[in-house]
Order: sequence, then structure tokens, then C-alpha cells
Amino acid sequence: MSAAESSPSPQRVVTEGPASRRAFSSPWRLFANSTVGPLLPYFAFVGLFLAVPTIVLFTKAFRPIQNTTRSSMVEAMTAQYRHSFVFSVRLSAISAILGAVWGLSLALAMTRIQRPRQLRSVLTSFSGVAANMGGLPLAFAFIAALGAQGIVTRSLFHFGLDLYGHGFKISGFWGIVTVYQYFQIPLMVIVMLPAIDGLRTTWREAAYNMGASPLQYWRRIGIPILLPSLLGGTLLLFANAFSAYATAYALSSGASLLVPVQITFFLQGNTITGKGNLGYALAAWMIIILAAVMGVYLVLRHRAERWRAS
Amino acid sequence: MNPIIPAAVARESSERPQRTIGAWIVATISILFFVVPMLAMARFALQRLPVALLGRKTLFTHWTLAGVGEVMRDPKFLPALWLSVRIGVLTSVLTLALLIPTVLWLHLRARRWRMVAEVISLLPYVVPPIALVVGVAGAFRNVAPWFIGSDYCLVPLYVILSLPFAFRTLDVGASAIDLRTMVDASRSLGAGWTTTVWRVVVPNMGGAIITTSFLSFAVVMGEFAVSSLLLKRTLPLYMAEAQGSEPQGAMALGLLLMIFTTLLFAILARVQKRSLQKGQG
Repeated sequence: MSAAESSPSPQRVVTEGPASRRAFSSPWRLFANSTVGPLLPYFAFVGLFLAVPTIVLFTKAFRPIQNTTRSSMVEAMTAQYRHSFVFSVRLSAISAILGAVWGLSLALAMTRIQRPRQLRSVLTSFSGVAANMGGLPLAFAFIAALGAQGIVTRSLFHFGLDLYGHGFKISGFWGIVTVYQYFQIPLMVIVMLPAIDGLRTTWREAAYNMGASPLQYWRRIGIPILLPSLLGGTLLLFANAFSAYATAYALSSGASLLVPVQITFFLQGNTITGKGNLGYALAAWMIIILAAVMGVYLVLRHRAERWRAS
Repeated sequence: MNPIIPAAVARESSERPQRTIGAWIVATISILFFVVPMLAMARFALQRLPVALLGRKTLFTHWTLAGVGEVMRDPKFLPALWLSVRIGVLTSVLTLALLIPTVLWLHLRARRWRMVAEVISLLPYVVPPIALVVGVAGAFRNVAPWFIGSDYCLVPLYVILSLPFAFRTLDVGASAIDLRTMVDASRSLGAGWTTTVWRVVVPNMGGAIITTSFLSFAVVMGEFAVSSLLLKRTLPLYMAEAQGSEPQGAMALGLLLMIFTTLLFAILARVQKRSLQKGQG
């Protein structure tokens, strides 16, 4: 029925009229002619492989720990596991803020440098690749550069700077933060470039014509317009770092405090300890945190797009 | 007129260096940060020499492909590569088979559902791979152990991981062409739905389809969380194991994988540029 409603040409009404009358005779026709019917495979697929696992995860996460009445969700936020969450959140936040600041600076630099014309396009394409880089190869590259026997570590040592003597470790907090910058900075560049291009030169000229200083221009016009993209980008970077797993796993040989690495302990040998549901609870908390972050991100992105429409 | 032009040029050139010096510092440090780890990895993968002995004299000695060779000869390597390739191809095909009809229908008849479908496609950003695999293990381990047991259970899970960008790419691709006119023309000439999709729509959305399949394939070749927790012997899992037993070979593999990904993206940039030009012409 709605097929006929939305059809633009009278011809379609003629050709499909009999079909929709036949609809009642065969279930297949009903499926093919309704508006939602052809969308069902998509909804069913996502339902089976994403919604069902997520629902099962949450129901198991709220079950009590063996021999107690405490829910796993509560247990997951006590003592050692809370420590793990604090570690993960802090690491993601710091890597997001650093990546955002540096990514914004790089994006601004890319728009400012005119001379080798290729520079901007090369860096933009590179950002597209590097933002998706992650996983094991990235960890390997940084072990080769900044590991205990890494070439950068040894060179710095040669020049008198003992990184590992100062407590730096590639598998430690600052090590992981450094490695994550490899995909965080490019991701921020990708987010910020369109926003910076959206700052029209006419606005700047208008401000200067009315006697504004560059500082005033940035404070009153530039930064307020970039702010939604900047905050949104930072949240995106946070989510990105928070859900990353492979790089941290390979850097620490599976011994990191990060929540995703902790979850794997439960999945691999859980039922013995009687705390098997804790793994589900940790994952459930991850989903809750990510949902909150992504929700705010979507609102900010909506705001940021206001200036990009025309 | 003559004196004005040099003055303007002079002022501009005296301002320029001051203004861009900060930009150049940022750009140079960034480029170093991006390039140095890659060079370090290449050195580690291809030069058989401890870092301690590295100096001006030995910089260009002991370069060898032995690490790559050892990995290639490892009997566990080829099956891992082959499994990843199979899963990658199947994931690309299934992603397209699921999403092309969906996106077309959303554009042609069910525009009101577009928002809903798009939000659903973004859900994998909220459920990270590690949580997805925990949920899948919990949901299917007792109900359908054969599913978790099969290597091919990775395919639908990787389709889910590819959803956000795959949906977006195809959605943008479908918006860029005049889908309704094409379909109406094709249908009124007597073509059935299958013919219309296969011979009219797909060729016109070539760029988006190639992009989607390449990106899905790249996701599969690099994914580690899901395959390692479900104990499937894919290429990344093999690399993680080799890191302990044959570090130089593992580095070489990592390097190859990175070069492969970069090439994939370079080809994609070409394809996108060409389909953009076609759209304008």
C-alpha cells in the first residue's frame, strides 16, 4: 500500500496494482511489497549478531556472583577492577587530549603551509591510512623504535638521555599513550580539516576590517566555531583509545591493566573462579561508557555541521 | 604603479616566514613521529644486527631477507594467511550482499527508515570488538557450539565490525547518483529487479562498492581481538605468536601488512578520484 503511495509515476500504480492485491494470497508477495519487508534481512542480521549478543551480555552481567547476592555489575566497580577502569579512562582521556591538541595544531599547520603544494595532500592521504592503523604492526613498529632495545631509545641513550632510566616503558602508561598518538593525531586531522576549511576568509576579513586583532578574531569567531568539532573530535579519540585492544596487548604481551586486556582473562579461564560473569560486567561497563561518549559526540557533530551546510 | 608592487611583495615576504615557522615546526615533528617508527621497523625486520653494534660503519651491512624467508617457510604461516584471505573475501561479499539491497530500498521506497538504519549501522562504535566477542561467546556457546567452533563464524562478526563505514560509503554512493530515474527507466524498459540492480545500479555505484569491499578486507586482515579470543588461527594471531618465537619474521610480516594496507588505500584514493571526476563530467 505504501508502495503505491510513494510511487512518482502513474505507470507504477498500474503495474503494481494487481501485485498488491495478490499480496494477500502469498506471504512472499507480502514480504516483497511492503515497505519494511526488504529491510528485514538487514535488521535481522544486526539483531542476531549484534543485539542478541549485547542483550545476553547485559543479562549475564547483572547476575549475582557465585554464593553471594551482589551483582557482577557492582563487583566490577570495586577494588582491583575499578582500578583497571580508572587506568583505562585516564589513559584514553590523556591520549585523546594530547591527540586533539597536536592534531589541531597539525591541521592548522597544514592549512597554513602553502609552499610545497604536495605537503597538504600527502599528509591528508597519510592521515587516512594512519587513522586506521592500529593492531599488531603498529605495536611492532614502536617496539622497534622505542622498546628497551629500540633504535630511538638507544640513540637517545647514546646522546645522554636514558628514557628507561627515567621510568619510561613502552608497555607502561606513557608508552601506550605515545603509541596511540600514531592513530589519534591523524584521526583528529581528518576531523578538523573540514572544520578549519569551513572558517571562511570573509569572516576573518570582516573582523579585521572592523578593527579586530588576530587574538580577538580567534577568541570571538574562530574558536567558538571550531569548538563543537574540537570537543566532538576529542570524544571520538577517547572512544577510539578506550576500545583499542590489539596494540596494547602486543605492547604489554597481554599483561596490561587496560580493561579490554583484563576482560580476556575472564573469557579464557573464567568458570573456575566462579566469577565468570565479571567478564560480562566489565564489557557491559565498557559499552555504557562508550554509549555515553558517543551520544554526546553525535550531538556535537550535529552542531558542528551547522556551519558547513552551504 | 611600479613602486607599489615591490612594496606589497616585500611586506608579504617579511610576514610569511614569521607566520609559518611555527607551522613548519609542528609539521616537521609530526612527520618525524610518523616516519621514524616505520624506519625502525624496517631496520629491525631486514637488518640482522643487534642495535648495540649499530654505528656509522655497520649502518649498511647485514641487511637480509632471511627473516621474511623464515616466516614464509614456517608451515603455520600459509594456512593462517589463506584463512585470513578467505574470511576477508567472504566478509566483503556478505557485506555487499546485505547492504546494497538495503541501501537501494532505503533510497527508493523507505526513505523514512534511513535514519533508523543509519543509527543501527553506527552501533558497532558503541559495542567494541572485545565486548562483541564476549557477548557472542555468551550467546552462542551453549545454544550453537558449532557456530563458535567453525572458522567461518568470524565472517558475520566482521560484517558487523565493517557496518559503520560500509553503510556510510554505500549510502553516500547511492545519494550521488539519480537512482530513482535509473531504476524507473530500467523497470519501464521491462527489466526485473535483479537485472536492474546487477546491470544498472551496481555499475553506477562502482566507486562506493570497491571502497566498501577494500575497507572490509583491510579490517579482516588486521583484526586481532575477535579472532584471538575465539582462537581462530588468522594472520594477526599468527603474527602475535611469531612475535615470541621469531621476532624478526614477525616484524617483517608487520611491515608487509602495513605496506599492503597503504597500497590498498592508495588504490582507493585513485578509484575515488576517478569516480568523482566521472560524477562531475
